[in-house]
Amino acid sequence: MSVTNLFDPSGIAVVGASDTPGKIGYEAMRNAIEFDGPVYPVNPSASGTVFGREFVPSVTEIDGDVDLALICVPAQVVPDVVAECSEADIGAAIIFAGGFSEAGPEGQELQDRLVAAAEEGGVSLLGPNTSGFLEPSRDLYATFASDIEGIPAGNLAIIAQSGGLAYAVAFQAENAGVGISAMVGLGNRATVGFREAIDYFDGDERTDAILLHVEGTDRGRELLEACRESETPVVAYNVGEQDVGDFAESHTGALTGEHELYEAGFAQYGVPTVRSSPELLDAGKALADCPEPDGPNVGIVTAQAGPGIAITDRLKAAGATLPSLTEETQAVVEEILPGITFSANPVDTGRPMPEFGEVVAAVARDDNVDIVLVYELYEGSVGYPTDVLEGVVDEVDKPIVFASGGPEAILDEELAELEELRIPTYRAPERAADAVGALVRYAKRNRNPDAVAAEEVNADD
Amino acid sequence: MTELTESGVLEAVRGDQRTTLTESEAKDLLDEAGLAVPRGRTARSSDDAVKAADEIGYPVVAKVASPSVQHKSGWGDGVGVNVNLEGPDAVRSAAAEILEAAEREGIDAAVLVEEAVDLEAGLEVIVGGTRDPSFGPTVLVGLGGITVEVLQDTSHRLAPISTAEAVAMTEDLEASPLFDGYRGSPAVDREAVAEAIVTVGDLLDEHEAIREIEVNPLLARSDDAVALDALVSLED
Repeated sequence: MSVTNLFDPSGIAVVGASDTPGKIGYEAMRNAIEFDGPVYPVNPSASGTVFGREFVPSVTEIDGDVDLALICVPAQVVPDVVAECSEADIGAAIIFAGGFSEAGPEGQELQDRLVAAAEEGGVSLLGPNTSGFLEPSRDLYATFASDIEGIPAGNLAIIAQSGGLAYAVAFQAENAGVGISAMVGLGNRATVGFREAIDYFDGDERTDAILLHVEGTDRGRELLEACRESETPVVAYNVGEQDVGDFAESHTGALTGEHELYEAGFAQYGVPTVRSSPELLDAGKALADCPEPDGPNVGIVTAQAGPGIAITDRLKAAGATLPSLTEETQAVVEEILPGITFSANPVDTGRPMPEFGEVVAAVARDDNVDIVLVYELYEGSVGYPTDVLEGVVDEVDKPIVFASGGPEAILDEELAELEELRIPTYRAPERAADAVGALVRYAKRNRNPDAVAAEEVNADD
Repeated sequence: MTELTESGVLEAVRGDQRTTLTESEAKDLLDEAGLAVPRGRTARSSDDAVKAADEIGYPVVAKVASPSVQHKSGWGDGVGVNVNLEGPDAVRSAAAEILEAAEREGIDAAVLVEEAVDLEAGLEVIVGGTRDPSFGPTVLVGLGGITVEVLQDTSHRLAPISTAEAVAMTEDLEASPLFDGYRGSPAVDREAVAEAIVTVGDLLDEHEAIREIEVNPLLARSDDAVALDALVSLED
């Protein structure tokens, strides 16, 4: 079943559309009309217009091109509506209603009926029990949530099991001025699951990194395979520490918790994992904006010792290597800053200074270094080395990640200029270190995939 | 040891409508797959148990062997497991007690006689594998005893895995330094533990009928690792 109808529709029907503010059928309609394509309100018991569009009694009576239905009707009638969508040749539907597989045996039965109708009719389903999805760059808001127009367009695709968590990440992105290509709440994953969504956004030219939120799935191995096959970097946030079971029968069953398997599986399949939604966003930003790292060797340049030490500590725990700089680089650094505080790795310049950018560039050009992490508190008389670093990322084809601290208004302006150079910026040393940790894990996967993975790839050749 | 293949063992159990292998069957399966197990065989009578012990050499261990008994040490008022039997008389009386208790309980049982293994000569490790509904075959390793039960110091992977990955699992453990020797104890064969993990994963990967395997303990010694007890259960 193709998901192109779902994520790239030409026309939209809002089934259960309403002219009563506050109702889901009203909110979904209000969002949908932002789309640059035909949008049809469908409701057999309504007449007249809503948002200037005339109500249609049924999806089968729409006179126009529609391939996505936003279904805003109660759970019980959803299977019949999906069957009608199939009759009307609508290839995809979003089911907002809850009361399906998440709601006990009766709900499961209803979901089974829904899936049967969808499979028979060839309709891709997002949900049920989802907030829908949005793609800001196309003004495509297939969701009932409000106040979402401010979420900026960008290159991160958020694919969350929970619609609520999807918005939690999307609004953090908005607050941080980070843009997204898409936000998808998968909900109950009746037919469209992780595999389908990852495959689609891997092929989406606007998406440079995929941010996953996973609570649990009965198709875990398939999820991991989709991540491994994705050419677009994927970073995952798996929620749910295991409950340790009863030891009575065997230890193996009791000790093998879902969380352990996700963590082990993501590591084996080369997917960086994170422990929180802010970290998910931070890691995603680095994976999306930076060139792909060739290895786990991080060169650190810091203008202040303390933040540099905090960064170093955290990076080592994340499995990064801090290589010695080449003698050539050390000589260059010594020449730029004779008697520098510390010219090994981390390079500590002691304080911000006009030559700071030259030092960063020298470390970036070092053959032993795969990734550069910079920390520099803002100092008005010196500013950031934006001019010196222009073009360096493309020249060395390595990630350069920058962290700083300073007054918010100044950082908002000055760090934006660094970001334009493909240098992701962070406002805490540990956040930058964690983002680089994700780059390191991603690099390790590319350089040294697990033996099993390698065997499978060879078998495919 | 019997000459059954891996599949042969599983088919025999299936044929009996059972979903759990006896210890002896489980060890046959592991032995066929390349894991070291103690020398031993099952005996049907006290005399045969003594004969088996004579063949193996003393000291030996005598354990109840029956599909009806899963928790051997707690069975039959504690007569199910007898360790460190030094001579024929001890074997004869242990085997007699097991067979009498089985008769009292009305179950079909034999006596598994095995060479005694010196636990002090190694490190007790648990190696397990289970078929997860979402992920398929998985494996785990941990140290035996208190570290696994209280601290849950385990490492997990999705199977099948390479030996290198299995070695990395042992290195994941907080208790990993114990493999390298401590307070004068010799280092143990980490690679042999890794091979056992690989084998458990491969068995699950190759035989869909198997639901779970637990080797507990696997005794890691200086130059090998031997499966002292094993539990294998099949899909319903």
